[in-house]
Amino acid sequence: MRPKQEYLIRYKDGNLYCELADIWIDPSKPVKKALITHAHFDHFTFGCEEYISTKETAILLKERVGDNIKIKTFEYGEEFKINGINISFHPSGHILGSSQIRFIFAGEKWLISGDFKLQKDDTCKQYEIVKTDYLISECTFGLPIFKWVESKKIANDISKWITNSPEKTSLLFCYSLGKAQRLLNEISQTNFKGNIYSHGSIHKMNNSYKKLGIDIKDTIKIENKKKFDELKGSLILLPPSLSKGSYLKNFKNIQTAFASGWMSIRALRKRSGYDKGFPISDHADWDGILEVVKKSEAKNVFFHHGDSEAISKYLVEKESINVLFFGK
Amino acid sequence: MSLKNFSELFVDLDSSNSTNNKIEVLKNYFLSNAPIDNSWAIYLLTGKSNKRFISGRYLKNLFSQIYEYPEWLINTCYLKVGDSAEVITLLLKNKSTTRKKKLSNISLNELLSKTIPDLSKLNEEEKNLQIKNIWETLPEDNHLIFNKILTGTFRVGVSIGLITKSISKLINIDEEIISHRLMGNFEPSIDSYEFLINKKINLQELNSKPFPFLLANTIEDKIFKNSINDFQFEWKYDGIRMQLIKRSGNVSLWTRGQELVNESFPELVMKMSNIKDDFVLDGELLVWNFKEKIALDFSLLQKRINRKSPTRSIQIKYPIIFIAYDLLEINGRDIREIKLENRRIELEKYFSKWQNRIENNISDIFKICDLIFPKDWPDVLTYKEKSRENNTEGLIIKKKTSIYSSGRKKGIWWKYKVDPMQLDAVLIYAKGGSGRRAGLYTDYSFALWKDKELIKFASAYSGLTNIEIKELDKWIRKNTIEKFGPVRSLKPEMVFEISFEKIQISKRHKSGIAVRFPRITKWRKDKKINDADSLENAYELMKKIS
Repeated sequence: MRPKQEYLIRYKDGNLYCELADIWIDPSKPVKKALITHAHFDHFTFGCEEYISTKETAILLKERVGDNIKIKTFEYGEEFKINGINISFHPSGHILGSSQIRFIFAGEKWLISGDFKLQKDDTCKQYEIVKTDYLISECTFGLPIFKWVESKKIANDISKWITNSPEKTSLLFCYSLGKAQRLLNEISQTNFKGNIYSHGSIHKMNNSYKKLGIDIKDTIKIENKKKFDELKGSLILLPPSLSKGSYLKNFKNIQTAFASGWMSIRALRKRSGYDKGFPISDHADWDGILEVVKKSEAKNVFFHHGDSEAISKYLVEKESINVLFFGK
Repeated sequence: MSLKNFSELFVDLDSSNSTNNKIEVLKNYFLSNAPIDNSWAIYLLTGKSNKRFISGRYLKNLFSQIYEYPEWLINTCYLKVGDSAEVITLLLKNKSTTRKKKLSNISLNELLSKTIPDLSKLNEEEKNLQIKNIWETLPEDNHLIFNKILTGTFRVGVSIGLITKSISKLINIDEEIISHRLMGNFEPSIDSYEFLINKKINLQELNSKPFPFLLANTIEDKIFKNSINDFQFEWKYDGIRMQLIKRSGNVSLWTRGQELVNESFPELVMKMSNIKDDFVLDGELLVWNFKEKIALDFSLLQKRINRKSPTRSIQIKYPIIFIAYDLLEINGRDIREIKLENRRIELEKYFSKWQNRIENNISDIFKICDLIFPKDWPDVLTYKEKSRENNTEGLIIKKKTSIYSSGRKKGIWWKYKVDPMQLDAVLIYAKGGSGRRAGLYTDYSFALWKDKELIKFASAYSGLTNIEIKELDKWIRKNTIEKFGPVRSLKPEMVFEISFEKIQISKRHKSGIAVRFPRITKWRKDKKINDADSLENAYELMKKIS
């Protein structure tokens, strides 16, 4: 095994870093050059001199943080060179614009999975299988208790949840970017035909998706500081940050739910304080991660994001795959 | 009438935080299912059946065996989920491809009266095969219910009170009546359900109803401006508040939570039946040290509460007493509207009458509460501080002219609780919680200084807010020194104020002391570990008390 500092990509100050190209991947602090896998805020930080991402990610980021950032964009599959390293973005199926990033240098391939899922999602490009020698994969849901059901079934459950309580206003909490649009897309194909409202932050992202050519059901933007009396029987999409605190006092007779992969565990569901949990995730489940590891044909795998102990041990024992660890 | 309906009921009940909602859901279930299935549902929901057919460990091993699944992986998952039945349910989803023809229309009755009991008739190999077969034929949505019943861990946030309320709503009859009907060995059958929903009320049912309880408020400063002579002072016992009712010869014991507990305390019911008068008494049930005339720990009382039909030896080991505070009804006459001081006179009068009849022989199980007579308010304080010595929680102060109204009415009764003892201690170990707290480090151990060493002195689970728990969980993961299974030893850095009720010498603990009801009352972020208390401080505290 090579010493850690000789890896093309390694961990530095808690971030993924390629020294040869002096480039960081989704850094959490300002750097010179940052590759951005997707437009979620936990993968983005202000103050980098230059960002590089897919076109969609760039547009979404600018919608969220303003035009005041310098972003260079590339199409999926388009190769570009930095210090002799070939770099390219490939669809990761997480949200619109999300990507895996492949590095090729001296005949050696490295693949950073980014956040990814294999499940069907009509609001973004399907995950693309990319072959690699080294795989750096996320493992947010790296335990076999996580097994996603079809999103169509979840959407039907949500539809039933709303229509079974016609006297109530149904508040569904979900991430503003990605999850909300995916849910809207799925819910529009169910029996629920009532009004759908969305919070400003979600509404904005819906419009960005539409501009980028994604078919999203129209929703009514919910105005702040208004008493919402006429909302019974309708669905309201809100970001999770509003679930605690006084915002909910705006509504009367509500039922609440949270759409997240974590909701598949009863203890977490109970603790979350929501009435109901819908287990739907934009990350891969256990089988999804294993499938990507296998199909990528990687001989060496690193994990980051989440508890990786179990899946590492499993791959070593059951699949004889070499799992490596970055030093901190 | 399939098991599916019950699985849906479980999901609905589980995903609602609203009592009204749950009552509605239950009512609808009862309306749309067969009496026999309703009967089983009540039996399960009220926790009457916690029979364990196989253990959680057995279930996990079996899964591991059948599907050649590594045991360590199942155990890692368990740490996240906190419930064996649920872990296996979630893992079974990964096995859905092996599923055979569905057994979709099995009823709750069939499952509980046949399928599951029949398992015990099989030898181990057949049993394992049968469980595998059920897993693979039962629709996925029913796995959780099946696994939970199998492991005797079926529980959902439904109290007997909620069942009572929903039946009461269903047939439009008072809750107390339904409570009475639900008492006893509720055996699941069509008859038992029909009896429960019978709209005709018999006389005995009517006679058992308790009055609404009057509750005490926390002490207010303004009370000290009044004359001490306006009040009656009693010890505040740490037992179960109860109404002891005898009407038309029948005795009923009602807790404040509207539970009828005759079956847990048969000796009290029997003795009180001997008394000639009818009455309603408000009082406290305790496990009592008859020699020293003081209450014993609440933990001993807990050994009695949940045990129906206790054996003679249990009755002797944990001897109970009912201490009456108040007389509310005597021989059919409701006297709640007369003044407390006059009710007290009546209470004393009847007590001496009952006590003097030798054939009653009630002195080993019944008494009226002693009154305390402080000279002035500072003296009240002295009594309050003494309350630890006789195992009470402080004082109850009652206005002598008050009538017995209901609820937590202001300006009538007050509780004056003794302050807890406190020490600042250092967090040294954390353990993962189970059940609702699975996946979070929520069980903590705290240490005090002894010279330059930190010695563990107490464990506590409660007292932090959910936000603090999450914050601390994050910190714990980052500051772990070593892992021993589910336990992590931590960098000594965090100081917490620990409150407790009692401190005594204990040879079982390395620290040499044991505390009762330790709980976290403050996260002392302002303190460094050197500011934490020492074992010496704890010994001093102990000396001060005794």
